[in-house]
Amino acid sequence: MKTKKVYLLLCSMVLIMLSISCVKDVDFDQTEDVVLTPVFELDFIYSEFDTSQFIDPDTDPTIVIPEVVINDTLNYDLLGTDFVVDNLERVELTFEFINTIQRDFTFSFGFLNDAGQRIGPSYTIIANAGMGAGTEPVITNEIIVLDNATINVLGAATKLVSSIRVQNVNSTLEGMLELKSKGTYFINYDL
Amino acid sequence: MRAIIFFFISICGFSVYSQNKEVLYDFIDLPQSLMLNPGAETNFNFHAGVPFLSQFHVNAGLRGASIYDVFADDGRDINEKIEITLNNLTSNDYLTLTQQLEFVNFGWKSKKNEKIYFSGGIYQELDVIGYFPKDFAVLAYQGNQDFLNQPFRLSNISGSGELLMVYHFGYNKKVNKKLTFGARAKLYSSMLHIRSARNKGTFTTVETPQGNNIYQHRISNADVTVRTSGIQSLREIEGETTSEEVKEAVNKLVGRALLGGNLGVGVDIGFTHKIDDQLSVTGSVNDLGLIFYTKDVETYRARGNYVFEGFETPVQFSSESQDFLDELEEAIPLDTLSNSYIVARPLKVNGSLKYSFNPDDDGSCNCFLEGERPGYLDGIGVQLFSQFRPKRPQYAASLFYYKRWFSFLRTKVTYTVDDYSYYNFGFLLSTHIDKINFYISANNLLEYTNLAKARGASLQFGFNVIM
Repeated sequence: MKTKKVYLLLCSMVLIMLSISCVKDVDFDQTEDVVLTPVFELDFIYSEFDTSQFIDPDTDPTIVIPEVVINDTLNYDLLGTDFVVDNLERVELTFEFINTIQRDFTFSFGFLNDAGQRIGPSYTIIANAGMGAGTEPVITNEIIVLDNATINVLGAATKLVSSIRVQNVNSTLEGMLELKSKGTYFINYDL
Repeated sequence: MRAIIFFFISICGFSVYSQNKEVLYDFIDLPQSLMLNPGAETNFNFHAGVPFLSQFHVNAGLRGASIYDVFADDGRDINEKIEITLNNLTSNDYLTLTQQLEFVNFGWKSKKNEKIYFSGGIYQELDVIGYFPKDFAVLAYQGNQDFLNQPFRLSNISGSGELLMVYHFGYNKKVNKKLTFGARAKLYSSMLHIRSARNKGTFTTVETPQGNNIYQHRISNADVTVRTSGIQSLREIEGETTSEEVKEAVNKLVGRALLGGNLGVGVDIGFTHKIDDQLSVTGSVNDLGLIFYTKDVETYRARGNYVFEGFETPVQFSSESQDFLDELEEAIPLDTLSNSYIVARPLKVNGSLKYSFNPDDDGSCNCFLEGERPGYLDGIGVQLFSQFRPKRPQYAASLFYYKRWFSFLRTKVTYTVDDYSYYNFGFLLSTHIDKINFYISANNLLEYTNLAKARGASLQFGFNVIM
């Protein structure tokens, strides 16, 4: 008799435990609403020029070269992964030119695909002329925004082409031009 | 990225505890108390656990958060709740999961010497602990823009997981009326093991007004190691999960369970000392041992320094094209090693002080004839617990009250303060009818009404035959 009572007690305790132990007031469907929106800052490109890179300092100062261009191509596929193409909302490329050379410079860049063909837009920035070696540099800032549509086009990019051009160069020109840049990557990732 | 996010979500979805079994400790009516203190008092002639049913134990918890914090159905945006939870958690918060299943458990009083009790058995254990990788969760969730010049620490990556079988045999002796001493030898056979601890290094985005570019992205003194054993060979059985391959994997695991895994040895040591008739002190050390990982071992280690400042372009006479990933791999190479390694088992220490009262003297006890005093129906006391973990030890302190209602019904309640909560009440109920014993115990009772709000919960139950 006693035994039965004990088992009854035991069973009811287990039942009570089971019935009160539950997970409530939670909604796991909310997982679908989770959106990650991290913002990453990453260096983009940099370069530094003194005038000797555009003209030999020993050149006769009376000789004026109408235009000098430096072109460069670089492997670049940071925009190529599926994750980036699917979840990168936009990229802000911030450029800073620090110039003491008394000339404007024209900086351009764009992207190539595997076949070496241009894809997406080309971008051009004019870096304002400086006031000569030893003076306070003239700073030009510019932000280029790559929107989602552009990023989708650039998903096939494997190379970055860039150039810097300057006009009317002679060997009396002195100073430095520095280029610094970063990308701000706005991710929007739905779980 | 996806993996990090899922890790973060899963960490929020669980709660972790240590292996504290405060309700079962020193509950000498149950033979399982010998597993926590081999020097516990024993009053059995013989015991045998019902195979596979003598003890099931599960313990899960999260220090620092609960499921409710993130998934509460309260109309607030989940992203806001994740952000708040993320800010509250620290890299010392963790997820732990421990599960044990006794296959066999038996014991008998020595025929030659009544004061000696032998016990032995086999149990399986799964033990997982993962610390919250706060810095990298923040990096994944918020990015580095708001954290310029602040290091993201690789030491945040810390955790371990192991599945093993334990074969044990214990010796318990009443040395004299005051002292009982015991020891248990253990043979571990590890089936799977993974561990990453004591990682070093930082990742920092530093503003460099005088540098080549706007920032420097620095990986400094990186030294990250992940040790695995038993995983490589299972990964080789890849491809389609045909029944053949599943069978092969299962066979491998069974082989390792039957002492074919990475072996280790260890001991439990414990004692019970009666200060006087009513006051007793106990202490035990569990899993003082090592496992030697020599088979199917694979260790991944990445060390080095790397600085990224962007791509230098356009430049005149551009050199070979730069590849940032190649440079990174060269600077911080990932080595795969198959060196053996040794890891200590997570050491556990228990201690208690108990005051017994209300003697069980209904005249039926013939103990006076044997020159002994009857037992007591009530007991009250304190217990302490500590467990060593990869980052730092965990501690818990409990108050308990033991009550023997009838010879067939015995209970214990505990109130525990630990890393997770200040309101942890535990309860154990043990029935002894004829020779059949059933027990069930659980802690964090207040939170059973809604486990979603619980930081952790532990449950164990089982059946024994006791004589």
